[in-house]
Amino acid sequence: MPVAIRFALLAAAVLIAALLSLTIGQRSDVGIGNVLQLLFVDDGSLARSAVVDLRLPRTLIAGLIGINLGLAGLALQAVTRNPLASESVLGINQGAALGVALALVFPALMIGNLDTMAIIGAVLAGAVTFGIAGGLGGRLDSMRLILAGVTVGAFSFAFVRFTFTLEDNLSRLVLSWTSADISAARFDQALPLVFWAAGGLTVSTFMAHSFNILALGDGASQGLGVDPRRMRFIGAMLAAVLTGASVAAAGPVMFVGLVIPHLCRLWFGSNHRLLVPAVALGGAGLVLSADVVSKLVRFPYETPLGVICALIGAPYFLYATLRARHMA
Amino acid sequence: MFNRTILATLAGVIMLAVAPLAQAVEIKHDLGTTEVPDEPKRIVVLEYSFVDSLAAVGVAPVGIADDDTRESIVPAYTAVIGDDWKSVGTRKSPSLEVIASLQPDLIIADTSRHEAIYGALSEIAPTIAFDSLTGTYQVALEAAKTIAHAVGKDAEMEARLAEHTTKMEGFKAAIGDVSAWSAQFIVDNGEGIFLHSPVSYNGSLLSWFGFKNNMTTPDGHTYEEAIVKTSLEQLSEINPQVIIRGKYADPGLTDSWVGQPLYDNVEAVKTGNLFDVNAHEWSRLRGVIASEVSGANLVEIVKNLKK
Repeated sequence: MPVAIRFALLAAAVLIAALLSLTIGQRSDVGIGNVLQLLFVDDGSLARSAVVDLRLPRTLIAGLIGINLGLAGLALQAVTRNPLASESVLGINQGAALGVALALVFPALMIGNLDTMAIIGAVLAGAVTFGIAGGLGGRLDSMRLILAGVTVGAFSFAFVRFTFTLEDNLSRLVLSWTSADISAARFDQALPLVFWAAGGLTVSTFMAHSFNILALGDGASQGLGVDPRRMRFIGAMLAAVLTGASVAAAGPVMFVGLVIPHLCRLWFGSNHRLLVPAVALGGAGLVLSADVVSKLVRFPYETPLGVICALIGAPYFLYATLRARHMA
Repeated sequence: MFNRTILATLAGVIMLAVAPLAQAVEIKHDLGTTEVPDEPKRIVVLEYSFVDSLAAVGVAPVGIADDDTRESIVPAYTAVIGDDWKSVGTRKSPSLEVIASLQPDLIIADTSRHEAIYGALSEIAPTIAFDSLTGTYQVALEAAKTIAHAVGKDAEMEARLAEHTTKMEGFKAAIGDVSAWSAQFIVDNGEGIFLHSPVSYNGSLLSWFGFKNNMTTPDGHTYEEAIVKTSLEQLSEINPQVIIRGKYADPGLTDSWVGQPLYDNVEAVKTGNLFDVNAHEWSRLRGVIASEVSGANLVEIVKNLKK
């Protein structure tokens, strides 16, 4: 199948998922027949308000965090040359969650806003994980990288879970946030994500060539003029910032960064110039589909997005682990 | 003659032997049947509604799971039970060590919250459990009666409940016929809103006063079914005519919705029938005394109802 058709199919899938995400909801006066009209024509009805004010922001957020998390996973897998690397396996997701939980429990610790706290948490967690695994400079040991990530992730989430035992209201706040509930999403949360996703897509596109060279190994890439240390640093930072921004907007959504690059590699091959746009589309499509499912599981009430993504992602993680023969 | 004397003596001895046992009260509760010593003196309670039940009959507990916030035990309670009690931590995860250090002779726990630690609590002291968190108003009154029985205050509770009924019927009369009105209690914690469904304590209290509820009644009695996290879209579908709101954060999430057509057109918001109440008193306190506070609030609310 020509590449163009594959992209067209993927894009169509994303559009359908987005449309379903806009169509499905508790109000019965919005249906597949009138959703586009409601979206583009302001007839002053409540149905229009439901679509534009409530569903559109969350559809945008779902799609954008899909792009961000997919690209973060792709960058991590490329710079570590480890197929299991992703923001949730390396503890970056959980680190971001720790940053937000700290800010919620101790408002005095808040630096800037929740976005900043999530990004700081993500960057620190990434730094610790990479540090334990041998640093950005030396040879990254695959096994140590994964184990370090699991350790950092477990530590971070231990604290987040600790907050569940605190006072009811606070714990409910942290809980609804750690299960990535985007049902009260607003436009002002979606707008920064547009900026982050656009930035992530640009940087990833520029790095695609280097990612391809890095796949040949540190020695070869040095010979071809790509500094593997610099690449690892930029790639890890990119992943941490994209993850942090997504976590701040929606909460930690697991496994997207692991699953999507894998699936895209199966379909588009290992050329990162194709993988970057494919992963962006695939990530958006997956989280949008998860958003649709999250509204349907317990209709008319909602199931948090993070729960659905974990339900999709965890079995895939097992599959990927069983298939990865050259781990350590 | 001789046989009779022996029999009588034997009977006397047996009576003496069982006498201490006979003093214990057998209490049937949600997690089993427990022997409670007669008139327990050192009582630890793990939910606010049990403070309510004890205060209703003038008994002071020695330990309260007060969520590490002494003010959460409101003046209506401290006026009766005083300040001579110790915090045993949060209701969600009370400190077993502190509870044990208080050497209680009775622990009153919540069925759903403390089921997992019921065994550990029972090793410290006889423990009885009632459904406070997800129980209705009627369940709370039944629990109050059983608790009074356990602490040997049956007569006091009977008198207090008679007074309670008079008060509540008085409120009901003042409120009048509200069967045409749908009312909904919501909690706004700044990040989300939580609707207390018809099977919750507040839902059942509102229907006791005659209000309608537009929510679908859930099948079960789990926490998620009693206290339902709800989106604005779902609220606009439920569309209650009266909203009673308890805000834990200021500004709340609902405040950020002002100006959005979906929120402004919710019947209660449109007609100005949204009323703020004390979130703590409404959403956390349940029982004889607490429901009278809510009843008095409702009388005020109905007075200000815009028809």
